Amino acid sequence: MANDAESDAKAFFVDGRFEQMARRPGGVPREEAIERALAMIEENKPGFCDWLDRELAELGELIRQNESQGADQGDWTETAYLQCARMRDVGTTMGFELVTFVANNLCEIFQAVNDGAEYRGDLVDCHMQAMLLARQEQYRNLRPDQLPELSGGLRRVVEYVPNKPPSA
Amino acid sequence: MKSPTINLRDLLFLVADPNSYICMIVHSMLRSFGANKVIEVRDSLGVVKALTGQKIDILLVDSKLPPHGGLKLTHAIRRNANNENRTVPILVMTSDTRATTIKTARDVGANMVAAKPLSPASLYDRLAWIAFNPRQFIDTATYFGPDRRFKIEGYPSGVGRRKGDHDLEVGEDAGPALSQTEIDNLLNIARSGQD
Repeated sequence: MANDAESDAKAFFVDGRFEQMARRPGGVPREEAIERALAMIEENKPGFCDWLDRELAELGELIRQNESQGADQGDWTETAYLQCARMRDVGTTMGFELVTFVANNLCEIFQAVNDGAEYRGDLVDCHMQAMLLARQEQYRNLRPDQLPELSGGLRRVVEYVPNKPPSA
Repeated sequence: MKSPTINLRDLLFLVADPNSYICMIVHSMLRSFGANKVIEVRDSLGVVKALTGQKIDILLVDSKLPPHGGLKLTHAIRRNANNENRTVPILVMTSDTRATTIKTARDVGANMVAAKPLSPASLYDRLAWIAFNPRQFIDTATYFGPDRRFKIEGYPSGVGRRKGDHDLEVGEDAGPALSQTEIDNLLNIARSGQD
């Protein structure tokens, strides 16, 4: 039997201004548009470090204010996760692979905590230190595989984070 | 599939993301694609003000837009029958690619979800997809938005039509438009930059 919601369904076609205008001839072809965008991203790279410094400062302050609570109070580890995800995503878009790598590790750590794992400040600290290293000019353009000791060590740290809360 | 060319000149974009740097990146990409009218806002109030003051052509909104998130905002825009922007295309940008989030985005009426990190290619292709694949809107007591049972032939990276796809017509509920595996695959491909 059809329910009321289905029987009352109205369907109508929307070919709005965006769709109509975007289909006009004369736009920027895909390859050219992407090339231009990549050039624009390259131009914006100098501002990345200032932005990253602000994000790291905010994250550091968030951790400093809350880590004594562990993950038991408030939703600060979710906020921390989102902040790390932002650094990871922007790092990827801007092509800074080492920053992306470290930020992604931090995401995994905070996600595990959000899922119930014990909060380990020392694991976060070593990634924060690694992030400060990754932002420096001489490391910024390197890939994780070009720093195998650092990246391997950080991966081992992340793998140490338990995925499940410790059993009582 | 070769993505068609889109002409974004004179279209009014509203980019809503709490982070100014991300806004700037998206803004730059849109300019590179030929857009010449881009408004940036940082929160839902900014979106509401922008939607009230003018006719926005497309909204790009972060799923975590303060204070209540871009998904709730999308739902509010779609459910408000008095809002002249009710059918505006909405592209949700998100770092959270969990299946539940993607499903929620679909169920609140988003046209498309773009996984962060955004690449120029992924953003261009999604805008092209919205432009060249307009969908019916469905209005029921519990849902207002683009038909969720859309086909993804050839978009965005070779994902073909599935056996279970139905034609775009209102009928018996055929279940979710995309299986979780397909959604995950789609987003995993986007995340690894293969599209």
